[in-house]
Amino acid sequence: MPTNPKTNRTGSRPTSRRAVARQLPHGLTAQQCREMYHKMVQIRHFEDHAAEAYAQAKVGGFLHLYIGEEAVAVGAIAAAREDDHILGHYRDHGYALARGCDVQACMAELFGRETGICHGRGGSMHLADAKRHFWGGHAIVGSHIPIGAGMAYAMQYLEEPLVVLDFFGDGATGNGIFHEGLNMAALWNLPVVFICENNLYGMGATLAEESPVSDMMIKAEGYTMPAVQCDGMDVLSVYGAVQQAAEHCRSGKGPFFVEALTYRFRGHSMADPELYRDKEEVRRWRELDPIPRFGDFLVQHRISSQQELAQVNEEAEAEMLEAVRFADASPWPDPSTAARGVYANPIDPEAAQEALTLAADPAPAAS
Amino acid sequence: MSEIELVSGPDAPGGELMAGVASVLGAPAAERRRSLRQLPQGLALRLYTAMARLRAFDERAVILQRQGTIGTYPPYYGEEAVQAASVLALDDRDWLFPTYRQNAVATLRGCPPESPLLLWRGNPAGWYDVHRYRTAPICVPVATNYPHAVGAAWGSRLRGESTVALAFGGDGSTSPGDFHEACNLAAVVVAPVIFLVTNNQWAISTPVQQQTKVTRLADKATAYGIPGVRVDSFDVFACYEAVAAAAARGRAGLGPTLIEAVGYRLGPHGTADEPSLYRDPERARLWAGMEPLGRAGAAMVDAGLTTLEALEEIRESAVAEMLLAGDQLEAVPVPELEEIADRVHLSTPWTLSPDHLREPSYPRAG
Ligand SMILES: Cc1ncc(C[n+]2csc(CCOP(=O)(O)OP(=O)(O)O)c2C)c(N)n1
Ligand SMILES: Cc1ncc(C[n+]2csc(CCOP(=O)(O)OP(=O)(O)O)c2C)c(N)n1
Ligand SMILES: [Mg+2]
Ligand SMILES: [Mg+2]
Repeated sequence: MPTNPKTNRTGSRPTSRRAVARQLPHGLTAQQCREMYHKMVQIRHFEDHAAEAYAQAKVGGFLHLYIGEEAVAVGAIAAAREDDHILGHYRDHGYALARGCDVQACMAELFGRETGICHGRGGSMHLADAKRHFWGGHAIVGSHIPIGAGMAYAMQYLEEPLVVLDFFGDGATGNGIFHEGLNMAALWNLPVVFICENNLYGMGATLAEESPVSDMMIKAEGYTMPAVQCDGMDVLSVYGAVQQAAEHCRSGKGPFFVEALTYRFRGHSMADPELYRDKEEVRRWRELDPIPRFGDFLVQHRISSQQELAQVNEEAEAEMLEAVRFADASPWPDPSTAARGVYANPIDPEAAQEALTLAADPAPAAS
Repeated sequence: MSEIELVSGPDAPGGELMAGVASVLGAPAAERRRSLRQLPQGLALRLYTAMARLRAFDERAVILQRQGTIGTYPPYYGEEAVQAASVLALDDRDWLFPTYRQNAVATLRGCPPESPLLLWRGNPAGWYDVHRYRTAPICVPVATNYPHAVGAAWGSRLRGESTVALAFGGDGSTSPGDFHEACNLAAVVVAPVIFLVTNNQWAISTPVQQQTKVTRLADKATAYGIPGVRVDSFDVFACYEAVAAAAARGRAGLGPTLIEAVGYRLGPHGTADEPSLYRDPERARLWAGMEPLGRAGAAMVDAGLTTLEALEEIRESAVAEMLLAGDQLEAVPVPELEEIADRVHLSTPWTLSPDHLREPSYPRAG
């Protein structure tokens, strides 16, 4: 095996931590790597607890787990600026936590409590945090693709150096709104990174049933948009791809398409008997679990020790237990405030009452 | 947004846009003559006749619109080759899904020309028998006919039939999501469908450069893993070959094809449009020489397939046919109000019942 004497890449173990850090790809520092590991672990523990709470009927509505795909959100968001805009689909816990949203507020949101990040009005699929430029989970497949293009248009128009990261699934690429969003983004050279999480399924539909091409990045060619594919089970691979994409966008060269090859270990939502895939396939993908894989990397490169990693896991577990306690103890929203946050200019309650009365007793038809 | 170069440039005839498009008439003279002489007996004249009839219909319709006999009308002057070639390259059992721009294609399958004319007159007598002519009603909402065609083609495949479906569209029609969903689904289910996109470079006043970043619309096929072919839209023989090949692919179980017929919209978008407000008339004049009827006729005479006199006779009889059709329109009775929603619903909802239309009454709550 050839060895580069300068970086000692495949030779003997590097000796000092500093020497190792210099070899990290994509200009990453050891601290950034530890941070990414921490984020992935947080997401994993958060979701394990969310699933448990769901089984206890503490979480209403739908719950879509991101378990197995953590490297995508974490790698991508770490590669962006802190104030770059983020949008994603309903499988959104990972984006929120990777962006640093408050863990307790996220958990309370799942529980539908007033202390939730959207005051309990959004639930699992609609986490959002405007001050962190996280513009939400979106439940309608593909709906946030043109919204992301629109935000990028705003950035271009306002001459702000920010880019938009827009996450969606393989299934979303079959939707017409995907086409309209990418067409406009390409045409107007908008600074948006389209990040397609290709996890091989759209609910119970296999890739072959939903898409004529198995590589989603091919779809970018229909818009002459540059595209890369990355290993969505490897946080470094995702980081590198999105770093390149974001740089491209920020330098005014237009949109970029990133396909992350990934896999969800759990069902589509909590109500999924998973009849469409066999256990052996899941088992093989679980071997690529991004968290232990990156943990091994950190240990091998002497960025963290096994003990340090174990401690990260313990702390995350304690943090999530505390988040669940917090959510459980939090008050429910006051039903009389149900319309809060629906309208930019709230409706006058008296006028609303009048309209309701009219609807119940329509005026006699003109004759 | 990009500046559109006006008089000459890459998207003028012979420019970069047309480079590499399939063309029979654009070949060197000897090759062109050879190709025409090798066509099946009588095909060239049948194509010419079909184009001449479409042309005569279109010109008559514009006159009728100016006279107030019909309402708004979308002329297709210059697109006759694409339309005639499509109908003739397909089997009469194959399905056509036209837009407003191909409003008269059913007349090439025996539908009386009065039908589409009455449609523009707002008379329900203009409804032709969709099943008889295997031609769907025209779609005005852009791109909505693509998914319809996929449905018909997929159905044909599921039933084990050998029919294909062809949907017409324009450059502008490739932007709405329906186009994408149709291509995606057709490719997934291997539907025998042909997407025939006529790139006339304009969607009303929007030039194609402001429509999409892709310069060759056929390249959009890559995203669906299907073939995308480019053909000269003013060349009836090349269009015929392209559609015939796509139909053969469909029948062989190989799925959809995207055809981009490249050209220029020689006329206005519609009878209420004034193109000189948004494009240089000089530019249309550059393309005028590509006009498909005269171009095909000249090549046929040159190849010794026919004479100028014979072609003139074909055109004259087409003009006479359309004149006669136009004269019939005013004698057709004005429809009753109750007929307004006929053929819209399978069973008429109460809001459109004759009683309600005459004297509207709304059910009261409770
Ligand atoms: C417009 C729309 N159609 C259908 C649904 C139902 N639905 C919810 S998730 C989903 C699958 C989407 O799959 P994909 O985009 O691959 O994302 P993944 O769930 O795999 O992350 C569907 C069809 C929806 N929410 N919105
Ligand atoms: C969904 C929809 N949007 C807008 C319109 C208005 N409209 C009618 S024709 C047209 C342009 C279509 O251009 P193209 O597809 O290139 O076809 P062409 O008219 O050139 O044959 C538009 C925008 C419409 N009919 N339907
Ligand atoms: Mg998926
Ligand atoms: Mg057009």
